[in-house]
Amino acid sequence: MPIPEKTPGWLERRLPVMSVLRREYIAFPMPRNLNALWSFGAFLIVTMAAMIASGLFLAINYTPDITQAFASVEAIDRQIPSGWFLRSLHMGGVTMLFACLYIHIARSLWYGSYKAPRELLWLTGLGLMLMVMVTAFAGYVLPWGQMSYWGATVVLNAVHTIPLIGKPVSELLLGGETLGNTALHRLFVLHFTMAFAILAVIALHVAALHVVKPNNPSGIDPVSPKQTLPFHPYYTSRDGFALCLFLMVYAGLVFFLPDLLTLADNYVQANPLVTPRDIRPEWYFAPFYAILRAVPSRLGGLLLAVGSLAVLFALPSLDRSPTRPATRRPLVRLSLPLAFVSFILLGIAGMHPPTETWLIVSRVAMAWWFIHFLVVMPLVSEREITS
Amino acid sequence: MTQSETPPPPGGTKRRDLLTTATVTLGCAGACALAVPFLNSLKNSAATTLSDRTLEVDLSSLAPGQDMTVQWQDWPIFIQRRTPQMLAALQTPGHIATLRDADSKMLQQPKDATNWHRSVRADYGVLVGICTHLGCVPSFEKPGSAPEAEGGYFCPCHGSHFDAAGRVAQRAPAPYNLPVPPVTFLSDTKIRIGHSAGDPGFSMSDIQQI
Amino acid sequence: MSRLLRDLVLTSLASLLTALPACASTPAQRGLIVFQQVCAACHGMDHVDYGDMAAFGLSPDAIRTWAADQQIPNGTDDNGAPKTRAATPADPILSPYPNDAVGRLANHGLLPPDLSRLAMTLHGGPAQIQRILLSYAPTPAGVKLDDGRYYNTALKWKHIGMPPPLQDGMLTYPDGTKATTTQMATDVSAFLNDVAHPHAAERRRIGVYVLTYLALMAILTFLLQRRIWKSRP
Repeated sequence: MPIPEKTPGWLERRLPVMSVLRREYIAFPMPRNLNALWSFGAFLIVTMAAMIASGLFLAINYTPDITQAFASVEAIDRQIPSGWFLRSLHMGGVTMLFACLYIHIARSLWYGSYKAPRELLWLTGLGLMLMVMVTAFAGYVLPWGQMSYWGATVVLNAVHTIPLIGKPVSELLLGGETLGNTALHRLFVLHFTMAFAILAVIALHVAALHVVKPNNPSGIDPVSPKQTLPFHPYYTSRDGFALCLFLMVYAGLVFFLPDLLTLADNYVQANPLVTPRDIRPEWYFAPFYAILRAVPSRLGGLLLAVGSLAVLFALPSLDRSPTRPATRRPLVRLSLPLAFVSFILLGIAGMHPPTETWLIVSRVAMAWWFIHFLVVMPLVSEREITS
Repeated sequence: MTQSETPPPPGGTKRRDLLTTATVTLGCAGACALAVPFLNSLKNSAATTLSDRTLEVDLSSLAPGQDMTVQWQDWPIFIQRRTPQMLAALQTPGHIATLRDADSKMLQQPKDATNWHRSVRADYGVLVGICTHLGCVPSFEKPGSAPEAEGGYFCPCHGSHFDAAGRVAQRAPAPYNLPVPPVTFLSDTKIRIGHSAGDPGFSMSDIQQI
Repeated sequence: MSRLLRDLVLTSLASLLTALPACASTPAQRGLIVFQQVCAACHGMDHVDYGDMAAFGLSPDAIRTWAADQQIPNGTDDNGAPKTRAATPADPILSPYPNDAVGRLANHGLLPPDLSRLAMTLHGGPAQIQRILLSYAPTPAGVKLDDGRYYNTALKWKHIGMPPPLQDGMLTYPDGTKATTTQMATDVSAFLNDVAHPHAAERRRIGVYVLTYLALMAILTFLLQRRIWKSRP
C-alpha cells in the first residue's frame, strides 16, 4: 500500500515528529538476520526506564541524612504502601541492567560492532557503562548499611590514591575528612543527576545507531533494500516477545528471589567502628575487585582495574582487521571466548575470600584479558586468514 | 518496505488482527496495572488518629488581658484571658454589625461554644489560630492597640480581621470565623483541649473549615 | 539487676493477654505471642510499627490495645525532663530501654540486639536463632564464664549474654498448642524470619499473578511475531 503524497499537516510543517518517528522507528531498515543478542539494547532501555521511575518514587520517601537514611529505607520496605515493590524493582533492576550491559558489550565484541564506521557508537556505549557504574556505586551508599559504608570507604580511599586527580576528586565527593553526612548528601545528588545524564547519553548512543545502522551477525552491511526489513512490525514484534521473556526473569528476581543478590550485612546500619567480617562487592563489580586484590601493589592494582576497562576504549585502534565477526576469524574465535571466561572467572574470584587458589585464578584470568586485547588482537589483525 | 504489506494469505488477516488487538490490549492493561503500585506509594501511609490526643493546659499564670499560644495536633491554639472591657466590646451593636457570622451559625465550634463569646466560659477564649482564608496564622493585637475591636486577630497574609472571639469581619477576605477546639474546664485554671464535656460527640473533622 | 528488670517486665506483660490474637494458628502468629511476652522484655524492633503486626493476624483493636500499653518518648516537659506518651499503631516497637547505655547497664555491658532484621543478618538465619534458643546447657566443670554469660553450645565461643529466655509452659497459646521450649523456639524464629522479610507472602502472591500475565503475553507476542515473520517478503 503506497503512502499517498499528502500535503504536510499543521504539526508536520512546524515540528516533523510524526515523519521522523515513521522514518526512524517504523520504516527504519534493519538487517534481516539479527539474532536474539540484538534484543539486549531494548532490554537496557526498558530496565533504565524502570530504574528511573522506581528511583523517582523511592527518592520521594528517602532521607539523605546519616541519622535517618537507614530508617527511611526500612520504612520504604515496611510501611510505605507498595514500597517493597518499588525498592525490589530498583535493586533487581541494577542486576538486570549490568547483566544486559555486559551481554550487550560481549555481543559487540563477538560480532565486531566496534569497527568502522561504528567507533562512536562503541565509545558512547562504553561511556554509558562507566556512568552506570558511577551511578550504581553512589546508589549503593544511600541505604547507609554496613556494606554501603565500607564499600564507599574503600572505593573513596582507592580514588584518593590515584596520582594527581585522585585527591581532589575524593575530597569533592567526601566533602570532609571522613565519610559522613556531607558525603551522603553529595552521593545522593550525584546518583540522582547521573540517572538523567545517562538518559541524555542514551539519546546520543541511539542517534549514532540510527546514523550508522545496526551491525549484523554476518558483519557485512546490507546494501540493497531487499536485504533489509522495516523495524515495524518485524523487530517490534520480535523485541516484544524477547521483552516478555526478559521481564519474566526480572519479575522472578523481584518477586521470588529478592535476597538472592543482596548482601545481608547491608541491613545493619552503618557503623564506623566495625568493619563487617565478610565484606564483598556487589556481583557486577566483582571482576574489578578481583583485579584489585590480585595485584600485590595498591597503585598497580588500581591501574590494572582501570586498565581492564581502558583496553575496551582502545579496541577500535587495537583491532585493525576489517573483518567484523569473530565467527570468520579463526584465532579470535578461540581467544575471545577465553577472554569472556576470564571475565567470568574474575567475577567469581571477586566473590570469594582471597585464598591462594583464587588469587592464582584471578592472576591467570587477568593476564589473559590483557593478552587478548593488547597482544592477540593487534597481532592477529596483521596476519590472519579470514574465512 | 511497501513490499512487506503484500496481501497476506486469505483468512490470515482476521487472525492477525485479533491477535494484534489482544496483544496490544493486554499489553496496555499490564502497563496501566504497573502504574498502580507507583501511585499507591504516594498515599499517606501514616493515617494516625490524631483526634484522640488531648492536651492539658495550666492557665494559672495567665493574667487578664494576656494571651498565650500552645500547640495541639500541629495547630497553634490561642488562649486569651478576657477583660470586662473586651467582653463589653464584643457585644456592642456597632461592632456586631461589621461581622459576617456574628451568631456563629457556621459549624466552626462545639455546641458549648456556640454563643456570643464563642467559648465555654466568657472570660477565657480558646481558638485554633489558623486563618480561614488561606491558612496563615493571625497575630493577636492587644486591646489597647486596636481600640475599635478591643483586641482581635489580624492575618498578615491578606489582611483578614477577626475580633477577640474569632468572629470574622465583613471587610476581610476570610469566609468563616476562626475554629474553636473542644475544651473542658478541669478546674478554674486548668483546661483540657481535645475533648468537650458540653458536646462530647464533637470532632474537629466535622467543622466547616480549618 | 537484669533478672529483676526482666521479671518486672514479664509480670507486667502477663496482663497483656487481652491484646493477643484470638485464634493464633501459624507458627509465626504464635511466635508473635512469644515476642510480646518474652523477647519484648529486653529487645525492640526499631523499624517495625505496631501496625505492621496486622500481617500476623492481630486485629486493629488488639494492636491498639497492645500499643497503648507501651510508653514511647514524647519530647520534654516545661522543666526539660523527658516525657512519654502511650504508643499508637503508627509508632515503632521500641526497645524497653530508654537508651543504649541503660540497655547495657541492665545486661552486663551487652546491648540486646534489635530484632527487626536479625533473622536476615545473623549468620545462619532463623535456624540459628532457633538453635541458640535450644542450646543452653549447664556450664561444664572447668569452664569459667564471666558474670552475665551463659553457656550455649550453638555459638562459636560457647557462651552468650542472653539468659535462657524460654521455659516449658511459661505462657499459654490461645490456640491450645502446648508451649514447650522447642515449640516456642520454633515459633519465635518463624516470626522473626517473617519480620526480617516484610511482605514476603504478598510478594509471592503478586509474583504468581505477574508471572502468569507475562507468560500469557509471551505466548501472544510469540504467535504474533511468528505470524509476522512468516509473511515477510
